[in-house]
Amino acid sequence: MGVNWAQVLFNSAVTGSLYLIAAVGLTLTYGLSGFPNFAYAEFMTLGAYMGYFVVRQLGFDVYFAFIAAFLACGILGALAYRGVFRFLANRGANKIHLMVGSIALGFVIRYIIGDIWGWPATTFGIRWPGFDIGPLRVTDLWLALIFTALVLAVIMHLLLTRTKTGKAIRGISSNPELALASGINIERVTLVTWAGGAALAGIAGLFWGAIASLSPLLGWAMILPVFAVTILGGIGSFYGVLAAAFIIGLAENIGVVALTQLGLSTEYRMAIAFIILIVTLILRPQGLAKAFRRT
Amino acid sequence: MGLFVYSLDIIVFIGIFAIVALSLNLEYGFTGLGNFGKVAFFLAGAYTYAILMERTGIPFYLALIMAMLVSAGIGYLVSLPALRLREDYLAIVTLAIGEVLRLVVKTEDSIAHGVWGITVPPAIHWSGMSVLEMRMVNIGLVYFCLILCFIFFQLMTRSPYGRVLRAIREDEVAAEALGKNRVKYKAQVFMLGSALAGLGGGLYAQYMQYINPYMFLPMVTFTVWIMVIVGGPANNWGVLLGAGLVILFERGARIIKDYLLLPIDPINLQYILFGVLVIFLLAYRPQGLLKERQLETKAIEGVQKWKNRSSE
Repeated sequence: MGVNWAQVLFNSAVTGSLYLIAAVGLTLTYGLSGFPNFAYAEFMTLGAYMGYFVVRQLGFDVYFAFIAAFLACGILGALAYRGVFRFLANRGANKIHLMVGSIALGFVIRYIIGDIWGWPATTFGIRWPGFDIGPLRVTDLWLALIFTALVLAVIMHLLLTRTKTGKAIRGISSNPELALASGINIERVTLVTWAGGAALAGIAGLFWGAIASLSPLLGWAMILPVFAVTILGGIGSFYGVLAAAFIIGLAENIGVVALTQLGLSTEYRMAIAFIILIVTLILRPQGLAKAFRRT
Repeated sequence: MGLFVYSLDIIVFIGIFAIVALSLNLEYGFTGLGNFGKVAFFLAGAYTYAILMERTGIPFYLALIMAMLVSAGIGYLVSLPALRLREDYLAIVTLAIGEVLRLVVKTEDSIAHGVWGITVPPAIHWSGMSVLEMRMVNIGLVYFCLILCFIFFQLMTRSPYGRVLRAIREDEVAAEALGKNRVKYKAQVFMLGSALAGLGGGLYAQYMQYINPYMFLPMVTFTVWIMVIVGGPANNWGVLLGAGLVILFERGARIIKDYLLLPIDPINLQYILFGVLVIFLLAYRPQGLLKERQLETKAIEGVQKWKNRSSE
């Protein structure tokens, strides 16, 4: 059976781009606040449904969907930080409490979405025009996704190296006390990161909803590879995530080919991310971050 | 009569989930391990029991013991990569294993008929058995296991072993400095917790007489966590209370759904309320309804006496 390797590589770039957009916010907030926010799955779901609301229910153009997802999830991220996590942390919650709190928040958001838009899966009802480039089958949406990821990578790089906020994020992540002593406004930087990260999660969710389908469990279905990307990249490291997103994208797409050749179900795609997660924890729990850290 | 039989169903469920909640209490309440994949071990127990009962003729108690052993084995494997690391890694790995195990039983039809589910023959059965009798038998079986578990947990958590676990929860480094191998203790606790979650799963499969992968969604884990947090981490009585309250609340929502017309689906509302409740409990009463009891040892008595004398 012939495998179209060009297509596999292209699909890997699509998957990697999606994981990059989805994981940037998670890894940065994880690095700053020190706990994994499991409600992140629901930020993605909300992004997808905001797009659905704007496109299907209000009848606007699809560009507005991205703006709506970005803004709504950004606000949600800021509210989640201010209203739940900082509140809990100020009352002396430990790391496990914060993780349980994030799962609880996730349930609240998921069931509100489920109640408003219903549980059955649905779609945007847009046919994305596809065309062939040589042996490749591509659609506008996939190209837009890769383009968004590239733009994001450039912006994040400039933000983290050239702006005060970006430097502050890196500073707090590696040494909060020193950052505080240097006069960095930790509160403001953390809030901005939570809002921005959640907004990006919303965009990722919207892309995924447009490529596949929407359901209130959309984010939950994506959370495992996104966590694998975060751990493989090294918590808090943007450059680590950049590499890890494409590594896992590639592994998943090659894995799907291997699974079909072996006659196994392609549903095991998710298990590939899980195996990478476990192997990373055994061999290199600090992730790839060290390879990218400039001292 | 109908109401009575229905209430028996609730009693069985409280018993099954109390066992699972007690096992989480051992892990989280006493030892400070955040297991966010409780459903994985519940699933492992349920499927082990179901498969053994369907394919082999072994007596049900052996199947239950096998369910516990298989869950404990999976618990041990899961704990290997994560226990040496920070607690958030364990949370992520356990959460992931819940999803992966469900994926496996859903995809591999040869294991247990995939999405079609698997029927489980009842453990104790005689011809002409009514629903009422069936439930009474289950109450006997489940509560026999629950009482054994409860006594075991009470004795264990008050023993020197239990004090080591609390010490690890409070300060790992100090416990290690006193020569307690924290990774070994945590792995043991994790295996034991998984085994008892597996027992709960086996009892669940035997009571339901049919299981499919959709019965093991992540909300099972969340429900068990609420029981522990509401009732009181590190207090076994509190966890029993929590299990009872949460199951009653869940059933209440289902009954309301049938009789009341609300602008919001009561089952959705129930999970939204659970979420809000957990956040508020974590903020205002993280010790739960019933607080953890102080240790009672000769040494602490001595310290108390000495303190009283020195304050005079």
